[in-house]
Amino acid sequence: MNSRRHSIGRAARLAQMGAGLAGSYLAYQLQRPFTNGDAGSEQRRALRKNSARKIREGLQDLRGPVMKLGQALSMQSHLLDAEVIEELSGLQMQAPPMHPTLMRAQFKGAFGKNPDEVFRSFEEQPFAAASLGQVHNAVTQNGDDVVVKIQYPAIREAIESDFKMLRAAGFAGRVTGHLPATVIDEVERGIVAETDYVQEARNIEYFRQHLAPLSFVRVPKVYRELSRDQVLTMSRVTGLRLQEFLRTNPAQELRDKIGTALTRLFFFQLFRVQALHADPHPGNYLFNDDGSVGLVDFGCVKYLKPEVVRCYAQFWSREWVHDAHLFAEIIRVIFGPKVSPDEPRVRRCMNGIRRFYDEFHPLGEHPAVLDLADSKFMDGLNELAKTLLKNKFLSPEFLFLSRTESGMCLLLHALKSRVITTQIAREWMPAISKRKK
Amino acid sequence: MSALIFMKRSREQRKGEARPAGKRDRNKEKTKEKILAAALELFREHGLDGTTTKQISRKAGIAEGTLFNYFKTKEDLALFFFQKETHDLVEWYGKETRLQRAPLPEKLFAVIHRQLEYIAPYEEFIGAVFFRSLQPHSKLSPLSLESQELRLKYLRFVRDVLAQAEEKKEIPRVGDLGAYAIGLFYIGIVMHWLHDTSRAKQKTLALLDRSLNLATQVLKKGAWDW
Repeated sequence: MNSRRHSIGRAARLAQMGAGLAGSYLAYQLQRPFTNGDAGSEQRRALRKNSARKIREGLQDLRGPVMKLGQALSMQSHLLDAEVIEELSGLQMQAPPMHPTLMRAQFKGAFGKNPDEVFRSFEEQPFAAASLGQVHNAVTQNGDDVVVKIQYPAIREAIESDFKMLRAAGFAGRVTGHLPATVIDEVERGIVAETDYVQEARNIEYFRQHLAPLSFVRVPKVYRELSRDQVLTMSRVTGLRLQEFLRTNPAQELRDKIGTALTRLFFFQLFRVQALHADPHPGNYLFNDDGSVGLVDFGCVKYLKPEVVRCYAQFWSREWVHDAHLFAEIIRVIFGPKVSPDEPRVRRCMNGIRRFYDEFHPLGEHPAVLDLADSKFMDGLNELAKTLLKNKFLSPEFLFLSRTESGMCLLLHALKSRVITTQIAREWMPAISKRKK
Repeated sequence: MSALIFMKRSREQRKGEARPAGKRDRNKEKTKEKILAAALELFREHGLDGTTTKQISRKAGIAEGTLFNYFKTKEDLALFFFQKETHDLVEWYGKETRLQRAPLPEKLFAVIHRQLEYIAPYEEFIGAVFFRSLQPHSKLSPLSLESQELRLKYLRFVRDVLAQAEEKKEIPRVGDLGAYAIGLFYIGIVMHWLHDTSRAKQKTLALLDRSLNLATQVLKKGAWDW
């Protein structure tokens, strides 16, 4: 009964948001006969911006999963108008934080004590608040600088109820217009996983151990005894967030170094660790002027099946272009037996991917240095995403992989790095056993 | 609006109460607290209905007849519990200087959360009291004369908290009705809290937080001016 009452409240809030949007679109429709030409498009732009702001504010109030969905959408730049994206990207780093009283109540619920009894010092104001929780600076009794992530209460229950509702209302489908149910399931799975701080602690330890060979990557250390299901204490990782880093006008050499580091990080994770830090939004990377990269937030991690990794390597090799068997096998791994490799849309999409890969990972004996500042990479990525969505070429298994890869591409572009991507990819690429025909 | 009349009269009464308590009063208060502590422990073991006055007096180390001098019924005992709870609340709030400068939703959250923390160790007792208070002839009923003074003390306190926010123009003037609304809201929250099986009752925390934020926003937008 409780959860039902809860979900009714949220439903009302969602409906209200929808009503607000509908209202203003209606207002626009009514005005339209009186405006023409450029004025119309100018007005439409302003209106969309206004709607976008309303969406963001609505999502921020709702927090949790809906906000997270908005965040996911904001990274899918091809799905939405520029105005909407601009507003939605505001969701990435900020959400209204819990007030100190609620934060303390939630902390006490986990530890049976207040933060200042557990830590030597604890900053009541969070330095970041995101959709599912917020992060505070603190010092342990031993004097270690740490960050403490505290989850908003009952967020898991809220996620489940929201997704139930999103499905029932067809809201997700209406907003995205494309995403198939299995992909929405995968997104839900990912978001629910992010609320499990015990799992996140395990992820951090896993990555800290397995990324150790990469000396330029910094992964925090978990303080198990200071962590609970909904409170996670980690060592502080140094570095600046993307926008702050760019404001320091880093030299081209440093941009290249970091770009190379990020590319190596991606392929090392993919081929060696076979697991991905799969939340590629810029806030999760911290950049240092010695070229090292800090990774934070391991809530969204995808552990890949070996066959998926092998499939990626086969796919990357582009040998399937001339090998029908290999092509069929790749399609089988991506989609299972239901999708036939002979479908025209499948060919269309695979060719689209190949075109993008020929730009982003050009083959050949002596691969060129790519200047990622070139807008052709962004255009290519958008073009590709459009093609894939239009043809419903989305696989849950590859959702996070492609999200991470396009995230990396976006980061390299923002950093204006020059990187020999192909060479790095080959460094850890597993040998592909050729099929006997 | 008979309750408003009560409120006025009760304010006048309060002036009379303001003199410092003598030694005799203090001793009396101590005995009452001793009885309450013994009773609460027994309620936890045997429930409100399963505990006899004999058990209570034995546990408190007093004669059964003496017990009746202090509390005529178990309901009087429950009322005393809530008097102490309200007293504790008002005193605590007076000392929370940071909280008094906080935005209204946080203040109200802190107040209600403080109440929930106070009653948390006696959940079953509270559940039984809640059930009893629904009976029209119960002294615990919100409509009973016996519970009025307590209720008015709480409402006055909430009224003062709201008045602070009114003065700061955080919300429009909501007057006494605002305090009544919060009082009703609190009853609803306790209901939710009693049924909340989530860990550390965090569903109640979330409900409390969201509804107070929403209510404040609605008030700001002038929904009160009907």
